[in-house]
Amino acid sequence: MEQEAPQGLDAFFAPRGVAVVGASAEPGGVGHQIVTQLQRTRYQGGVYPVNPRAREVRGLPCYPTVLQVPGPVDLAVVAVPAAACLVVAAQLAARRQQRKDLAGAVVVSGGFAETGKQGRELQDQLVRTLRTAGVRLVGPNCLGVADAHTGLTTSFDLGPYPAGGVSLLSQSGAFAMSFLHWALPWQMVGLCKLASVGNMADVTLTELLAYLADDPCTRVVGVYLEGLADARTFVHTAAAVARRKPVVVLKPGRTEAGARAAYSHTGSVTSPDAIYEGAFRQAGVIRARTVSEFYGVVRALERLPLPAGERVAVLSAVGGPGTVCVDEVAAQPHLRLARFSPHTLQRLAAVLSPIAAVGRPEGYVDMTGALSARTHGDALRVLLEDDEVDAVVLLTPPPSFLDEEEVAQSVLEAYHAQPAERRKPVLVVLTFGDAPASARRLLEQGGLCTFEFPEEAAWVLGRMVEYVRFRARGGS
Amino acid sequence: MNHPVVARALEEGRLALREWEAYELCAAYGIPHARWLLARTEEEAVAAWRQLGGAVALKVVSPDVLHKSDVGGVLVGVEGEPAIREGFRRLCAELARHAPQARWEGVLVQPVISGCAEVVVGGLRDPQFGPVVMVGAGGILVEVLRDVAFRLAPLDREEALEQIRETSCYRLLQGVRGRPPADPAAVAEVLVRVGELLVSEPHVRELDLNPVVAGPHGCWAVDARVVLDAEP
Repeated sequence: MEQEAPQGLDAFFAPRGVAVVGASAEPGGVGHQIVTQLQRTRYQGGVYPVNPRAREVRGLPCYPTVLQVPGPVDLAVVAVPAAACLVVAAQLAARRQQRKDLAGAVVVSGGFAETGKQGRELQDQLVRTLRTAGVRLVGPNCLGVADAHTGLTTSFDLGPYPAGGVSLLSQSGAFAMSFLHWALPWQMVGLCKLASVGNMADVTLTELLAYLADDPCTRVVGVYLEGLADARTFVHTAAAVARRKPVVVLKPGRTEAGARAAYSHTGSVTSPDAIYEGAFRQAGVIRARTVSEFYGVVRALERLPLPAGERVAVLSAVGGPGTVCVDEVAAQPHLRLARFSPHTLQRLAAVLSPIAAVGRPEGYVDMTGALSARTHGDALRVLLEDDEVDAVVLLTPPPSFLDEEEVAQSVLEAYHAQPAERRKPVLVVLTFGDAPASARRLLEQGGLCTFEFPEEAAWVLGRMVEYVRFRARGGS
Repeated sequence: MNHPVVARALEEGRLALREWEAYELCAAYGIPHARWLLARTEEEAVAAWRQLGGAVALKVVSPDVLHKSDVGGVLVGVEGEPAIREGFRRLCAELARHAPQARWEGVLVQPVISGCAEVVVGGLRDPQFGPVVMVGAGGILVEVLRDVAFRLAPLDREEALEQIRETSCYRLLQGVRGRPPADPAAVAEVLVRVGELLVSEPHVRELDLNPVVAGPHGCWAVDARVVLDAEP
């Protein structure tokens, strides 16, 4: 049975076939690399290289123009020089009129509005040609789109990626790629949809954000933003989305220098940062202050349940990092340290060494080095079962005198022993970083989030609770 | 919809409202402000002082002056007939000295409201965000600390309270150093109404209430500055 044509922006993420215009037969070019990635991701739709000077690209038949492509093709990736783009656009438009497919185009090429007046005119013509025919455009000057569930990718930098619930919208392809490649070795992120929006000549970040609100696979939207002409519409859209799923934004430009760097990068003139700050809070948008906070908050929101409240327990096997964490939790305006119930204190005494320090200060448990692998899980379970606790930060190296895999297993068992409907988030800080590789892998695969720095976990929890407060408030 | 004072200013090709015009605009939107009396002559100034009683503030009135303190145009805590007369003459002389081209229309006489927290409330039309409202700790501190928070207008009371809580002005309103606590809800109400004003008056580009003096039973703008756009 013939597959139905995708509706609206679906053409960009689940096309029946993709034409790669400008794919060369020899490795090295962008188009060739995009074809390679589409083969690696095992994208199920048709892949059609288009290039009048090649007969075959990576074993696939090559077509002189998109008009000769036989099967249904809903998306075209254009990787030819800017000057040749108008001719290609006319062919795409003709294809759309003749075959009624081809609803979307991703123009990867640069050389448009970002270069000045002439480039802007070229871009305007490009948009006119495509829009008149009913072809939507992502870009130009971008890495384009990807969907880890369908295997679709128009990015030469992104091959197979673990599928999950994180969707990314970015005014910088490099920013999104950095996050994904950083998270890949430990599989800390499951990707849903990615859009590097480039010059946003047609499809805007705002439109994509609204689209992701209705996307059942997207659990959290991460946005890298430098500046928008339709900032108010974006914020209104974000407010509506944030009521359904979290929206995390990293937006530089707090300083004059940052704002100027953004201008030279994407040509965005941004409003004063303080207005963005206020507008984001009003909309329930989680604004990450640093790249590491962005990474951490997005990861945590994909994997972990939201805390029901603000009461945090810090459970540590290490003194100094535990102290740093307690300090950061206490400094977060939206968090406070939990007050353990008397029953919890009794139960902790039963599982911990007599030299362990409990409740000094409130909410803090320093297990000290007098512990076994099992102690981690036993103490964690007690804390998770206390109604006075909404979230736990667990810090452990883990100590090299313990079997790191046993530590990880013990933590995972305690976490998964919670009733699913009342599950509390646990943020695990591995203070030895990547050194305990198998513990880290087990914890990440087991559905937990690992961090390297104590303060990071406190910040991430702070943002999660801020979001929970927004949802509880109903907003304005 | 243009308020009459806005319409008149635009007809005259003026992009700044006089302070008392700004109060009239505020009053139309339920934004409370200090009482004011306009005195064109020394005699009227004395009469105004008698009517208000106690110490008053005298402020220069000129359609050509936006920042009164730049032209030596504000006197605070003036009391007694000789002081009122002298103050009136001094403001006139200062205006002539600092801004010889500026038209003199007299002075504004207002009671001095003190002993409470001072906050700044502002509104502006951002090119990308449209109407936004601002709140922060008032007086000169706002320029030094830049401790202000913004919201898009329109906004509701609860959101305005959140906005106030984001700045040190919330703690200021709680009462510091034995000052009585002020009512944050009253300041929140002002923010909501400034938002309504900006949404309804497309020609208002900037509105600055600095300070708004807040007490236990309400708050009042004791200075107001409004800048207009010729084209909305």
